[in-house]
Parts: sequence; C-alpha cells; structure tokens
Amino acid sequence: MTASSRKRTFAIGFSLLAIAIAILWFVPFYWAISLSFRRPADTFTTAGLGIPFINYAPTLENWQRELSTPETIRALTNSTIVSVSASVIALIIGVPAAYALARFRFKRPPNEDLTLWFLSQRILPPIATVVPFLLIMRQLNLIDTRASLILVNITFNLPFAVVIMRQAFLDLPIELEEAALVDGTSYLGAFNRIALRLAAPAMAATLLIVFSFSWNEFLFSLTLGTLRAKTIPVFMAGAVDTRGIQFWFVAVRTLTAIIPPVIIATLAQKYIVQGLTFGAVKG
Amino acid sequence: MRWNNRLKYLFLLPAVLWLLGFTIYPLLYSLRLGFYNVRIGDSDIFVGFGNFVRAFRDPQVISAARVTLIFVLGGVAIQLVLGVLFALLFNRKLPFRNALRTLMTLPLFATPIAVGFLFFTIFNEEGGLVNGLLNAKIPWLSSPRLSLVSVMIVDTWQWTPFVFIVVLAALQGIPKDYYEAARLETSSPWIQFRYITLPVLQPTIVLVVVLRLAEAFKVFDIPFTLTQGGPGVSSQVFSMYAFRAARRFFDFGYASALSYLLLIIVAFIVAVFFRRIRQVYQ
Repeated sequence: MTASSRKRTFAIGFSLLAIAIAILWFVPFYWAISLSFRRPADTFTTAGLGIPFINYAPTLENWQRELSTPETIRALTNSTIVSVSASVIALIIGVPAAYALARFRFKRPPNEDLTLWFLSQRILPPIATVVPFLLIMRQLNLIDTRASLILVNITFNLPFAVVIMRQAFLDLPIELEEAALVDGTSYLGAFNRIALRLAAPAMAATLLIVFSFSWNEFLFSLTLGTLRAKTIPVFMAGAVDTRGIQFWFVAVRTLTAIIPPVIIATLAQKYIVQGLTFGAVKG
Repeated sequence: MRWNNRLKYLFLLPAVLWLLGFTIYPLLYSLRLGFYNVRIGDSDIFVGFGNFVRAFRDPQVISAARVTLIFVLGGVAIQLVLGVLFALLFNRKLPFRNALRTLMTLPLFATPIAVGFLFFTIFNEEGGLVNGLLNAKIPWLSSPRLSLVSVMIVDTWQWTPFVFIVVLAALQGIPKDYYEAARLETSSPWIQFRYITLPVLQPTIVLVVVLRLAEAFKVFDIPFTLTQGGPGVSSQVFSMYAFRAARRFFDFGYASALSYLLLIIVAFIVAVFFRRIRQVYQ
C-alpha cells in the first residue's frame, strides 16, 4: 500500500468510527422513541432494536393517553411556570451584578474573589441545603407551593447567570460604552442602551440553559413539591415502584421530560461549552 | 475608566443579598442543626459532635462513602479517557462533523431522573435492550455487584459528552502553525501530541476534572430511579442516604451532619485546585 492510500484508509476508518460513536450515544433516545409507539403487547415480543413498521405496528395511543391525563398536564404546567419564572428572575438580579463585576473595580473583596464566591455557590452539593430549606419553607408556610420551588431555583440559577454574563460583558468591546459616556450618556444609559443590547444573544443563551437546569431539578422538587406543586421529575419518580415494568409508559414519560430541555439547550449550542465550564473555555 | 461608585454597589448588592439569604443562611442553619437532635414540634436537644461521631460508626455511612468514591473516581476517570479520545477523533476532518457533535451533546441536558428511568428499561433483565441484543440474562440491576456498574455506565453516557465538547473546543483553539513548526523537526504524531497537544490541553483537563469531580459527588437522581440505591445498599450513594435520613426518618440533625461531611469533601477538592481556578477569573 502506498502512503497516500494508507492515509485514505485511515481517514475512512476514523470517519466510520466517529459515526458509530455518535450513533451509539443516540441509541437510548432511539430506544425511548421506539418503545413509546409500541402497543403493550409488543413491548417484550419485539426483536432487537424494534424498528417501527418493520418489527411492530406503531400506535399513538400511549402518547394520547399520557398527555391527556390531568396529572401530566398539571406537572407540565408546574414545571413550565417554575422554570420560566426562576430563569427570568435570576437573570434580572444576576445581569446587573455580572455587569458590575465585568466593568467596575471592587477593592475589598476584589472582583475575582467575588466571582469565585458566586461560582462556589454553584459547586456546593445541593443536599447540604435541603434540610434547612425544608424547615424554612415550613415556617413560611410555603411547603408544596410553586413559590417555594421558584425561590430555590432562582438561588441555583443566580450564581450561574452572574458568572456566565460577567464573561459575556468582558467579551464586549468596552470602547462603545466609553464613547457613549464621553458623549454625555449616563452610566445607566450605557448599560441599558449599549451593553445590554450587545449582550442580548448571551443573555438568551443563559436563559435557555438555566431554564433547562430548573426543568431538570429533582432533589428540591421532591422535598418541597409533594402534591400540588409536583414538577415533571417528581411526577416521573412517583411511578418508579408501580409502573417501571410498563416500558411504553416509561418511554412516553421519559420523552415528555427530556424533549423540552434537550431541544432548548441545543438552541444554545454555541454557548454550551462556555456555559458548562462557567465561562472558562470558549466554544 | 472612572465609574459611578453608588451604581456599582446597587448593581451588585441584590445578587449578593439574595445568596446570603438563600444559601449562606441555610448553610449556617444546617451547620447548627448538625449539632442538635432535631425533634419536630418539640425543642431541639444539643448533642455536640454526637451526630458526627455517629456518622463515623454508621455502617450505612461507610457503605455510602465507599459506593460514592467508586462511582466518582471510576466514573470520572472513564469519562475523561473516553472524552479526550473522542475529542481527538472529532478534531480530524470528518463528514457531518457538526451534526455528529450536536448529536453527542444531547445527553447533557436530558433530565437525569428521566435518564435513570429510561435506562431501567435498557438494563432490565427481561426485555431490556442490552440483554435483548446480547441475547443474555445479565442481572444488571438486581445483582449487588452490577448495580453500581450500571449506574456508572449511565453517568458515563450522560457526562462523557461534557469532557468531549470542552476538550474539543480547546483542541480547536490550538493554532495550526504550532504543528506546522513541529513538522519541520519531527513527523511522529506521538511527539506532536506529547509536546504540543497535551501541554496546551492541560489547564482545560484540570478544569474539566475539578468540575466533573464536584458534580459527581452530588450524584442522586440517576440511582434514585435506576436502582433506588439497591439491591440492598449496593448502589446507595452518599446524598441518597442523607436524604433518606431526612425524609424517611425525619432525622434532620443527622441528615445535616451527613450533608456537611459531603460539603467538606467537595470543598476540599475545590480548595486543592483553588489557585488554578482563580487564575481563570482574573
């Protein structure tokens, strides 16, 4: 074999390997989709990967039944209200703080320590605040309310929003704001009319990512939202003991939970690397 | 640039106050609870270090600590190796590279509770996907020796993409002329990897490992639905045991003490790499 043809063989081999890995990583999603369209009778009898129309006749019945039950609708409503409110409010509080850390100089404590303090809030294991939150919410009479879940989720989203948006503001050219100040714009005006507008894409991406975090949050929802304020993850976990064996049912619920955050986070694809590393690595 | 002094505090304070109120205060509250025997509807009894002493003698704690350590160290090591290898692979010219890369990132934001539930059907002994394809009856979830392995496989599925996309981003940031310059001296891809790629990647890898370690110690959701910590306590992780102490046994003082032990471990890991992380935000 000549050197160039060996190179080509390697290139093709590596391409196939990459495609195989991506497919392997997608298989669990595929399996959920395949299960969700099966009749109960086809769940166990279908061979291998269960390709619809070939291995079994697909049905929409599972989806229709699951999505029309009041419990599902309530859990979806709760999750949506909690995640949207918690993300929006976290950004409203977090963005000005991020701007302050990016553009102003603090002496004691210095900016980098303030930033690390925010970051550390995000790294701490959530179990450490479960018990006090439960007792505090009980005293405030907020157990099993969406308000308590919104408060908790703002608390988790806020440090993330601050750290990510700080980096977003640092990445903006400072000259535009300086020019506006020279022209007599107030500091608040420079923030409002220039910085916020330029940082809008980063803000949108941050919003999408923290929405997904809140949508997926389980530990606190399980502790605080037991009945009326049940979110999608808690709603799902409640069926583990009783319905685990009903694969078609598991699949429909799994996809109901997974699809919104997965799609939403994919919209922020450009910012995912930056988001998951708290701004330390650019995507 | 000269900045208005009052405005900067006005911008920063709401976020600081919020976190003081909703994180620092609960943490202090929790620390206090750790030294008490908390009784609902009655006054708490001060027990000093009683809860902590009890923790070190509790066989469930020892088991949970062991399970968590295996899960964290084993899982993160596998994810690191796989993630770096995948990133090197995807750093080549590939057909549909961006589409494949996006496909690989999908697990990152999949609801962990749902992921655990879904893999319950994949690892199920009867009719599960894995046993169906292998045409075997491996007790993935019902054997005490395999249940933790199954949890680790699921975690690896969900988090290898994290290592992968971050390392890939770092690889793509390496200037091409580094390699061109190296090619004048050597043609060995290993030497290029060892003396260019690895040193440039090193800070990224450290960061990825710290974030992954801190995150992995929090594990709760996936075993909660996949194995419920079982069979027995073979996959009961630390957070799970602390949660059970609080929720099932209403032993709030003990649960607080346990979660503080976990907090100390995570804080220690972060502290070890503190100077490294601080540089990033300077």
